[in-house]
Amino acid sequence: MIMSEIPYWIGLTQLKGWNIEKINKLIISVLHENKLSLEEFFNLSITEWSEKFLLQGNDIVALLNLKIEIPNFSFLTEELLLQGFEIITINSEDYSATLKSNLKLKHSPPVLYVKGNKKILNEKSIAIVGSRNASEVSLKFTDNIAKMASEQFKVVVSGFAKGVDRQALDSAIKYIGHSVIVLPQGVLTFASGIRQYYNEIVRGDLLVLSTFFPKAPWSVQLAMARNPIIYGLADEIYVAQSDEKGGTWAGVTDGLRKDRTIYVRYPERGELNANLKLIQKGAKAVDFDGNLIEEPLKDVAPADKDEEIKTRVYDLLKDKELSSVEIIKRTNIEWSARKMTDFLKSLNDIKTIKGKPIKFRYKFSEEPQLFVSEPQEIYEK
Amino acid sequence: MTRTEAEVILKKVFKLESFYDTQWAVIEKIFKGDRILLIEKTGYGKSLCFQFPATQFEDTTIIFSPLIALMRDQVNKLKQLGINASCINSNQTLNENNRIISDAKENKIKILYIAPERMENSEWLETASQIKISMLVVDEAHCISMWGHDFRPSYRRIVNLAGLLPTTFPILATTATATPKVEEDIKVQIGKNMSSIRGNLLRSNFHLNVIKVKSEDEKFIWLGRNINRFDGNGLIYTGTRSNAEIYASWLEFAGIPSVAYHGDLDGITRKNIEKGLIENRWKCIVSTNALGMGIDKPDIRFIFHTQMPESPIHYYQEIGRAGRDGIKTYIILFYNPDEDTDLPLAFINGSKPSLDKYDKIINLIKQKIMGETDLILASNLTSTQTRVILADLIDQKIINETFIRGKAKFEYKFLAPKLNTKLFEELRETKLKELEKMIQYVDIDTCRMKFLCDYLGDNYTENCGKCDVDTNKIIKKVIVQDEWLKKLEQFRFNNFPVLNFKSNESNLINGVAASFYGFSKVGSTIHKCKYENGGDFPDELIQLVLNAYRKHYGDLKLDLILYVPPTESGDLVKNFAIKICELLNIKISHALIKCIKTQPQKIFQNHLSKMRNVCDSFLYLNVADIKDKSILLIDDIYDSGATIKEIGRYLTLLGAKLIAPLVIAKTVGGNIK
Repeated sequence: MIMSEIPYWIGLTQLKGWNIEKINKLIISVLHENKLSLEEFFNLSITEWSEKFLLQGNDIVALLNLKIEIPNFSFLTEELLLQGFEIITINSEDYSATLKSNLKLKHSPPVLYVKGNKKILNEKSIAIVGSRNASEVSLKFTDNIAKMASEQFKVVVSGFAKGVDRQALDSAIKYIGHSVIVLPQGVLTFASGIRQYYNEIVRGDLLVLSTFFPKAPWSVQLAMARNPIIYGLADEIYVAQSDEKGGTWAGVTDGLRKDRTIYVRYPERGELNANLKLIQKGAKAVDFDGNLIEEPLKDVAPADKDEEIKTRVYDLLKDKELSSVEIIKRTNIEWSARKMTDFLKSLNDIKTIKGKPIKFRYKFSEEPQLFVSEPQEIYEK
Repeated sequence: MTRTEAEVILKKVFKLESFYDTQWAVIEKIFKGDRILLIEKTGYGKSLCFQFPATQFEDTTIIFSPLIALMRDQVNKLKQLGINASCINSNQTLNENNRIISDAKENKIKILYIAPERMENSEWLETASQIKISMLVVDEAHCISMWGHDFRPSYRRIVNLAGLLPTTFPILATTATATPKVEEDIKVQIGKNMSSIRGNLLRSNFHLNVIKVKSEDEKFIWLGRNINRFDGNGLIYTGTRSNAEIYASWLEFAGIPSVAYHGDLDGITRKNIEKGLIENRWKCIVSTNALGMGIDKPDIRFIFHTQMPESPIHYYQEIGRAGRDGIKTYIILFYNPDEDTDLPLAFINGSKPSLDKYDKIINLIKQKIMGETDLILASNLTSTQTRVILADLIDQKIINETFIRGKAKFEYKFLAPKLNTKLFEELRETKLKELEKMIQYVDIDTCRMKFLCDYLGDNYTENCGKCDVDTNKIIKKVIVQDEWLKKLEQFRFNNFPVLNFKSNESNLINGVAASFYGFSKVGSTIHKCKYENGGDFPDELIQLVLNAYRKHYGDLKLDLILYVPPTESGDLVKNFAIKICELLNIKISHALIKCIKTQPQKIFQNHLSKMRNVCDSFLYLNVADIKDKSILLIDDIYDSGATIKEIGRYLTLLGAKLIAPLVIAKTVGGNIK
């Protein structure tokens, strides 16, 4: 990579309204079909642009404006290199082959910004994803998968978010494996985050990667946008826990639509998450240790879940008044208190008792407290 | 644009008739978008080579220059011509700099001067990626080269930047001093087919001379006796800060208005002296090479060196500041064959810290990301050593810089190579060869100017006809008359270095030392007493101290004598203070003690550690004694001043009205220059 090409690469990624596909197509046209460097391309005349590259008015204007700004990207590049970052472009042999084959030209980001052992990008990889509010079970599962990855010399790819992502990273480190963290922001805005994992980076065990403009701060859009990259970098994908909405759900359903093989942890009894739904949508089921489960949906009827919860809750509330928190504690149902409250309020045969906290009780026990421990038969009328 | 057309614009905008041929050659190349290195003597008019194209370009031209004073003058001149110019540097306030940055972003500035250290500043970098830039100029480009005499790490980033700019982006590098090796190095580093244009380095108005002496005394005497025979005003360069002060005091003593200038002076004092230089306030300014970069005085009539520089290129650069007006100018190098190579050799051999120090820093950074200050404290190296090491490690791509919450820190790189020590050896060898050449200059029997120009790669020069060799007027011997010897002796017993302590943080006033540690026998006497069981400080020393006291403090009323409690040397300072108390008839108190066991200051290599060592370590037992009193504080040696500063701070807190320091000897501290 000739260093002075880098500012052009970065500049191209900043063209307004140009999606990845358009940028990649131009790059291929310049570098492969016409065998020019980007700098040579930018020094062509407008006539050559429109005749050789079939560029139209708006595009030509955009490129002319970019040309004037290239020195500014030179300053940015100098800053990146000074701070020890490397820039890997899509035509480089250091670029992740897996990413390219998964995302194809249409979605493969032209530029990757990395720090650390870049050889990690071309090792076999496993992504471990899951929600930020992960249960203990999910986190333990994550740990298991990371351990497995390390034993199989596979890289763990994760997003550095709270919950499953961090667990994946910390476990990978614990098991002395290799890992990649895919940032939801630009590399220049992430300095203090990198500091924590300094020793791992120096040792060559951890690669920090971002596909975003180096100065871009964290935002929800970027956090969402980096999920496809995580999936793209992975040969295998393991889902520890997903809700029915949010980043993990979006990523997995998107991946399934694209025919990716995705392994979802089969949920334990009473767990309330969308893992099962994902399996119903086509994801493969694995057990707590990551082993494939052959026929996961054999015994499960979709409607059963809510009924099961109802039964367990009624059992409890037949002879006591309990708050949502207390109920959750006793049943290990993995819902938030609010969810439980809403659920209970929606049930006709559960009575809401005002107070701090609100408590609930099975309605058909409207006898005075004295009779709270009456046998169940009374209420089956 | 043709030359004729350009000269029309030149007349209109710059009020000049025409270009020199070389100037136009350079400007043509710039308009083509080429990269060019211009090597031309000081005063030639290199600035026009970039100022003219800058006014014709659409966007901003950025000029990297280390010469802060010069850039201010340039900006003023340009503004007077109606050209929108500004500069950003650390001597301006943050607000000023920020205002200029926002003006630049709005494309309001045509020419922007920036000190290379700016590249370390994150706000500036933020800006740089937003200003529209037409051309880059690198002034004093020899600072890029490690083989040059003034390599500056902050230029490294400029080189990196140049490598990342488009090929058609014009870059002009200028310098007055580059050997062929340095020239090649600059061209390779900035790259993209950079070409170079060399001008004639002959300074035809210079009269070069060398005076060989047998002792330092002969230098003092010759100068004292002869300096008034030279017209106008000039500079005297010394090798050390203390010599700058000593020579300046000596000349003043001999009736010649002089002042000392060096890096230990504060910014305001320095600015004042620079102003005084322009106003011809003194016959001469005696300085280390801290003074020089960026003096814009056309009529410096003489430059005398009391210490041989490290190489002919250092020498050419330093004398180059003289006689820009083309009028007769005298250049003299004093040389004592027995002693004068010691200093440059020490520099060359000490220019890189020993390898174990490199390992220390590397190992610290391997463990943890650290900033410069953390490293200085953890390693106990001097700040200069630490900076040199860090610059080398970055150069060799063993570490890189990173910014955490706006502060610069250093990280070890994955797959960092081992330290390349061969490079250091090569560098040292090269520098030793250059010193040999400098020594040759002293002894040649052919034209001195030709020698210098040849060395710098200018092969066109004939004999100058003006140096002492060409005119056959070499001074072979300095005549030493008795009356001057006596004068020198008198001076020795009357020259007392001032200790700068005045600040807003305590009631310390400027103090005085009886002598510089290395000057005459003071240092060795002190050493004998402290470390060789030589007994109490002898009466001669006491007498000297009293002379210093009287001269500096005069009639100042003092109420109480305190002395710095010792760490190692027993009762020496106490007994000394008692004698002073008897002779001055001022009460003495022994109640100032050390409350924490500290290490001797001298084992701490840098100022930060020394400050830390003494912080909060003193206690005065009878607090009532101190309130509203004026105190004479006595010690034997002033090194960094940290101990006295701390005591001053503490006594101020206790209510002391004034604290006046009095010491026997002032050392020069870690840095020699």
